[in-house]
Amino acid sequence: MDIISQLQEQVNQIAGLTFNTFGTLQRDAPSARLSQNYPEPPPNPTEDAASFPEQPKQMSAALVKAAKQFDALVAALPLSEGGEEAQLKRIAELQAENDAVGQELQRQLEAAERELKLVQELFGQTTDNCLNLKKPD
Amino acid sequence: MATATFPPPPPFYRLYKDYIENPKSAPEPPPPIEGTYVCFASSYTTDDVLPSLEEQGVRQLYPKGPNVDFKKELRSLNRELQLHILELADVLVERPSQYARRVEDISLIFKNLHHLLNSLRPHQARATLIHILELQIQRRKQAVEDIKRQREEAQKLLKEALGTLAGQ
Repeated sequence: MDIISQLQEQVNQIAGLTFNTFGTLQRDAPSARLSQNYPEPPPNPTEDAASFPEQPKQMSAALVKAAKQFDALVAALPLSEGGEEAQLKRIAELQAENDAVGQELQRQLEAAERELKLVQELFGQTTDNCLNLKKPD
Repeated sequence: MATATFPPPPPFYRLYKDYIENPKSAPEPPPPIEGTYVCFASSYTTDDVLPSLEEQGVRQLYPKGPNVDFKKELRSLNRELQLHILELADVLVERPSQYARRVEDISLIFKNLHHLLNSLRPHQARATLIHILELQIQRRKQAVEDIKRQREEAQKLLKEALGTLAGQ
């Protein structure tokens, strides 16, 4: 995939990781005590408590990794300096060179075809003479 | 009882009855459209240019100007994004009702990121064109060399043949 599409995919991936992180944390977080007036919240079941402290660490590590990969992709962008005018100038130069080389190719091709026709004609004449199909003048 | 579900094709085919005998008796194809046109009740434009962020009502975070340093701006937008995500996490812990502003900021940064990447596409197109032209020039030069070489070889063979025949 070309690098700009990869960059776009990476941006979308960062967005996905962000909302997945926040959504998962909000969904799985144990209840918090809002005010002194309310009693302590009930203890949460063990399976949640076991993996729960790991989740923010893993998800934030994934976020940071995605961001670093984005930076690496940006560094790999083959952006030539000079901008649009330099590119257009180069395109004009290349077009001129392409035309010149194309004309040269055309000339060579025509010369080669002429020689081919000549050789074919001469070959036809010699074979006719050899096989005595034509009356000698 | 089946009724036609689709409308019949346009009746222009009748105009081309005598096209084989007289190509000029039938109308020319319509000229290419310029500007905006309407297709199935929505209007499209023939000028395919990326609309700037202001036209879409989005604030532009990176500096405007003729030559934007894409790499630098992309990297700084990335850092801003990370900072805003951290801020959102903080806000959710301390003042959860104020998330909306932070979420708006994050989506603004994403829109700017995508707009920057989309504005790189014309540059990519020109670079592809340059690459194709260079390849074509190289192939044509190679073909010229090949033809020259083959012609010289043919000349050589003919001279040899002439020499052999003359020697007999």
